[in-house]
Amino acid sequence: MKTFLRILGALVIVGVVALLVFIFWPVSRSAPTQVAANAPEPAEHGEYAMRLADCAACHTAEGGEPFAGGRPIESPVGTIYSANITPDPETGIGGWTLAEFRGALIDGLDEEGHHLYPAMPYTNYRGLTETDIAGLYHYFIEDLEPVRNEVPANDLPFPFDQRWGLRAWKWVAMPDVGFASGATSDDPIERGAYLVEGPGHCGACHSPRNTLFVQDGYTASDAGFLTGGVIAGWTAPALRGEDSAIAGWTAEEVAQILGTGRNAHAAINGEMALVVEDSTQYLTADDLMAVSQYLVGLDGNGANRGQEQGTPSGGLAERLLDDPATQTERILASADPGMPEGARLYLDNCGACHFVDGKGADEVFPELDGSSIVQAGEPTGLISMILHGGALPSTEARPYALRMPGFADRLSDDEVATLASFLRTAWNNEASGTVEAGAVADMRSEEGG
Amino acid sequence: MSHPTYLNTTRRGFLGGTAAASALALGDRAQAQDAPPLEEYTPEYLSAAEWAFVMAATARIIPSDGAGPGAIETRVPVFIDLQLAGDFGNAADLYMEGPFKPDAPDTLGPQSPLTPAEIYRGAIERIDAACTDEYGNVFADLDPTQQDEVLSALEEGPSTSGNTPDMAEDAGGGAPNTDGSTAFGLTPELKEFFSLLVQNTKEGYFADPMYGGNADMAAWSYIGFPGARGSYAEWVGREEDYPLGPVSISGERA
Repeated sequence: MKTFLRILGALVIVGVVALLVFIFWPVSRSAPTQVAANAPEPAEHGEYAMRLADCAACHTAEGGEPFAGGRPIESPVGTIYSANITPDPETGIGGWTLAEFRGALIDGLDEEGHHLYPAMPYTNYRGLTETDIAGLYHYFIEDLEPVRNEVPANDLPFPFDQRWGLRAWKWVAMPDVGFASGATSDDPIERGAYLVEGPGHCGACHSPRNTLFVQDGYTASDAGFLTGGVIAGWTAPALRGEDSAIAGWTAEEVAQILGTGRNAHAAINGEMALVVEDSTQYLTADDLMAVSQYLVGLDGNGANRGQEQGTPSGGLAERLLDDPATQTERILASADPGMPEGARLYLDNCGACHFVDGKGADEVFPELDGSSIVQAGEPTGLISMILHGGALPSTEARPYALRMPGFADRLSDDEVATLASFLRTAWNNEASGTVEAGAVADMRSEEGG
Repeated sequence: MSHPTYLNTTRRGFLGGTAAASALALGDRAQAQDAPPLEEYTPEYLSAAEWAFVMAATARIIPSDGAGPGAIETRVPVFIDLQLAGDFGNAADLYMEGPFKPDAPDTLGPQSPLTPAEIYRGAIERIDAACTDEYGNVFADLDPTQQDEVLSALEEGPSTSGNTPDMAEDAGGGAPNTDGSTAFGLTPELKEFFSLLVQNTKEGYFADPMYGGNADMAAWSYIGFPGARGSYAEWVGREEDYPLGPVSISGERA
C-alpha cells in the first residue's frame, strides 16, 4: 500500500512537473532564413508586401481606423478580436523588434512570447520570405502612424482562453519554416505558388480544417489544400479538384476576377470581396498572372474542362437565337403557367438579370449555371444572397460597386427555399439536398453582405 | 407633375391598340392584400364630398363599360387619395418658393402657389358649386351625360393648361390665355386641375398595385403588360400572346 502510494505520488509529481514544463518552458522563435540577393529595399517594398499578405481585411474593424484592429473573428470556439497592428506603443505593436515581429508572423508568438490564436494565419505565413517580412515590418513600424485603440478582450470559454494550450496545437499544425522553392523565381508557376501558399494565405479559407482546426495541407502537393472550406457558415469554394469553382476558367479570367471583382462567369461577394478590395486588386500584372497560372494549373482546372461543360456563347442576342440548351432553359423560356413553382419564382424574380439560360451577362450579372455559391455544400450563402442581395467590391479598375437587391420583402421563407432548391439543380447544377424554409427563417434577420 | 405634355395621349385610344386578351387568373397572392371594398374605404385626404367627386370623375375618364376594367374596379380613387395625402399632394418635390405667376402662359410650367392637394380641394369645391348652379346638383349626382359635359368643358376651358391647338403657336412668347377666366369659376391657381385629374387617373390605373390603384393588376392584365417581371427577352418579336400574367413589385401574381 505504502509502495503504491509512493508510486502514485511520484506519478502525480512527474505529471505536474511535465505540465509546468509544458506551460512555462520558454518558447523559441524560428531563426531567419536566407535573404534573397536581389531583394528590394524594405522601404520600397513594405506597402506591397502588406497588400500581398492582406493584413487589412482582418486588422481593420468595420468603420475603424486602418490596421487598428478590433474586428471580431468568429471561430468555432468563440469570438477573437484582431489586434491593433499600428505602431502605438501601448495598444499596438510599437517598439516590437524585427525578431519579435517575425515571431508573430511565422511562429505565432507575441512580443512577450505568448501564443497567438491561429485566427492569425501564421501557419500560412511560415513560408514568407525574409524580404516580405522585412517589408511588412518596415511598413507597420515606420510607415504607419500609431493609432491608439484598445481592442476588446477575446470572448472565449475555458479552456480555450488558456493560450499555453496552443503549444500542443502548434506541434500538430505547424508546417516547416521558409518557402521551399523560389519565391522570387521568374517562373510564374513558382512565384504563384509562393503568393498563394504564403502571403496570400488563400488556403486559410479555401482549405478544409479538421476537428482541431488544423488546415488540411499547406502546399499544392497536399491533396486537401484548396479543396474548399467553410467560414462562418459561408462556403469558401474549392479551387481545385472535382468541385473547383474555377474549373474551365482561363488564367486571364482568374486574373480578371482577382483584379476587378468580376469576370464572364462570376462576381465576387461575401468575405472574398474584402480580399479583392484590400489585396488582390493591388497585385502587379505579373503577380496576378502568376497566381492565376498557378491556380489554373492545379488538378481539375484548366480551359479543357470548360469546353466539356459548354462555355457560354457570346452576346445576348446570339444566345437567344440558340436552341434552348437544357431542359431548365426550355421550361423557363416557355413561360408556361404550369411550370414548377421554383422555375416560376426564378422567372418572376431573377430572370431579368440572370436570364433563362442562367448565364447572366459578362462582368455584370454572374452565371448561376455552374456557380459555386449556388451549389455550395452549405446553402447559407445562396439564401443570404437571395434574401439580402450583395455588392461587388469596388476596385480601381472597376469602381462601381454593382449591387444585387435583396428579395426578403418580396419572397416568403417557403418561396426562398423553393427558389434556392430549384437553382441548386437547374441547368448543369448538381447540388444535393433541398433547402428548407426553416433555414431561410433563421437567416432572415441577419444583415446582408 | 401636371404638365401639358402628359395630356397628349387620348385616354383610351392607345389601350385598344395594344390590348392583349390576357386572362384575369388571380393567383393566391393577389388576394392577399385584404383591401376593404371601395364603398368602405376611408379616405386619407379627401373629404366625403371630394371623394364622391373623384369617384364619379374617374369613372367617366376610364369607364367600366368598355372592353377592359374601369377606374372604379382598379381602385383608381384610392390611388389618388393616397397620393394627395402623401408627398405628391404636399408638393414635397416641387419648388414652391415663388415668385408665382398663375396667369402666365402654360409654356412657363406650373405656376400655382397651391399644392396638388390644395388644387384638388379648391377646384372640386368650385366645380360642385357651378354644377349646382347649372344643373341643380353636385357633380357626383349628375347623370353621366351631364358629367361628360362638365369634364369636356373643363378640358376645353381656355386656361386648362393643355394641349389646345394654339399652344404651339404661343410658344414663341405670345400671351393669350392669361385673362384668368376659366370654366366653372376656376381661378388661374386652379387651372391645372383637369390635367392633374387625368394624369393621376392614368397613373392610378397603370401604377404598381402597391400604390393603391391597378387593383389585382387588372390594368396590366388587360393590356398584356407582364409587370415587374422584366424577364421575357425570348418573347420579343414573337407574334403570339405571352402566356404568363403580370407580377407586381411586391411579388404578387395575377
